[in-house]
Order: sequence, then C-alpha cells, then structure tokens
Amino acid sequence: MTRSLVDRHDVELAALAAAGGRREFGELVRRHGSAVRGLLRRMGAQPSLADDIAQDAFIQAFERCAEFRAEGTFAAWVKRIAARLYIKRVAREARYVAEVGNEEAAPATDHAGIVDLDEALKALSEPERLCVSLCHGAGMAHPEIATALNLPLGTVKSHVKRGLDKLRARLRPQAGQPLGSAQHVG
Amino acid sequence: MSADEFDPEIERLFARSPQMPDSALFLAQVEQKLQKGSQVRFLALSLAGVIGGVVAVRETLSVSLTAGDGIVAGNALGQGIRSASLSIQGLIQSGLDELGLASLELGSMGGMQLFWIAAGALIAVAAAGVMRLTQDL
Repeated sequence: MTRSLVDRHDVELAALAAAGGRREFGELVRRHGSAVRGLLRRMGAQPSLADDIAQDAFIQAFERCAEFRAEGTFAAWVKRIAARLYIKRVAREARYVAEVGNEEAAPATDHAGIVDLDEALKALSEPERLCVSLCHGAGMAHPEIATALNLPLGTVKSHVKRGLDKLRARLRPQAGQPLGSAQHVG
Repeated sequence: MSADEFDPEIERLFARSPQMPDSALFLAQVEQKLQKGSQVRFLALSLAGVIGGVVAVRETLSVSLTAGDGIVAGNALGQGIRSASLSIQGLIQSGLDELGLASLELGSMGGMQLFWIAAGALIAVAAAGVMRLTQDL
C-alpha cells in the first residue's frame, strides 16, 4: 500500500523530489514554507520581498535537490539557500551599511508582559538582526557570515554578541513564563 | 539566564516559526514558478534540438554526397542513394529557406569546422533527448 505524502520523512521526500517528484516537493514546501518565510522576515526583509526570495529559494532547492545530503535537516538546508539569496539581494540593493548600521529601533511594546522573538528582534539594529538571524536562524558559522556579508570576523562576532545581549534582556522570562511564549507551530 | 543556557534557547525560538495564514497561496506560487521554469527549459531544449537536428541532417547529407564520388561512384545503388539524397537535400534546403536559414553557408567552411558543427549539433540533439527522457521518467 502506498504511503501518503504526509507520512513520509523529509529526507525521503527530498530524494523523490530529486528524481523530479513535484508532488513530493510540494509537500516539503507546505511543511517548511512558513519557516523559510519567517526567517527572512526575521532577518529584516519586508513580507513581499521575503516571500519572493523564499519562492526563489525553493525553486533553487528543487533544482539542486540531488545535492541535499541529509547532513542537517531539509528546512535548515533551504533556510541557508534563502539566507544567501537575501544577502545577495541586500548587497545588490546596497541597503546594508556594514559598519555604521541603523539607529537602534525603539523597543517594541509587548502585550501583557509577553515578548516573542519577532517583537524582540525589532529592538536590534539591522546588522545585529541580520547577523543573529544568520547565526541562530540559518545556522551559519561566524566566518561564513563574515564572508557572505564581506565583513571582518570581529565585526560579525560583535553584532551577534550585542544582538544576543539585547534579545536576552528583552526575552527574560517573566515569573513562571517560558521564553517566547507566543503561539507557534513547529 | 547565562549565555550558555540562552544560545540553545534562542535557536529553539528561531526553529519555531508561526504558520503563515497564506501558506496555500505560497505553495501555489512556488508550483506555478516551477511549472513556468520547466516549460521555458523544455521549449529552449526543443528549439535547440530541432535546430541542431536540422543542421546535423543537412551536414550529413552534404558530407555523404561529397564522399559518395569516391566510394560509390559507378555503383547503381550508390546512384540511387545519391539521387534520393539530392531530393531530400532539396526538401531540407527549401525548409531552411522557409525558416529563414537559407543564408547558412556551411559549404564555405573548412572540413574541421563542419565536423565540429555537426558534432555539436548531434550532442545538442542527444542532450535534448536525454533531458526529455528524464522529464518523462
């Protein structure tokens, strides 16, 4: 009896997609589309741009599916593709000012003392937000980020550290409140 | 909370993403882009295959006619092939004229150039065939 797509593991679906399986790839997009779009928004992309890049990332993933070695998760693999596409786009549009950075954003107002990650990220400057998202969202190592952004390694480390410090302050759990308590799905 | 405890926690937060309300629309857009890309690729390969095939056939006929003088001269069968080839060549030539490729003067090129053009065309046809086959599979 043929198993339905929803029962299949990502690795299995990716292997079938590598052989040209559109339906199997569609299931992967359904599973991970929101995560990739969400990461791009967390990196600072506007929603429409994030969706455009996420679509391009999935198209690239489909064309390169045979390269997926299942050393990490499929979602992480596509996130890295998407992150690199976003960096290229940002670099092309020269929107990212490496050393100066933007003025620090005003702290986001939280509701009932609960602050989720998306809100907390708004308190970071653009370079900090990008570096933290690349490091902890796309799973890129500091040297990899430095190369991709054409920044000195020390600068990347500083952005990540400062960003994490700010997030730590913003996400400090309330009494009995878990971190990032907003409603999320896996 | 220490930094050591915080780093894994922040990664867990990043790993949890809100489900977007328009996920179905996003999926449809990705599928549409994939379909479009596949059609463009198919058209490009088909076009390359047709052009390569026409050039290859034309060159093959041209070469066999030239070689035929020495190899099958005087042979009745050879004469038959030659006359058939001539009529096919005429048909192809008229087809090329209609396609606006009449100015393709391959006869003025050297032997090696013709060889490489024919080889390239045959490779293009073979690649198009393989691609089509993999798409069908």
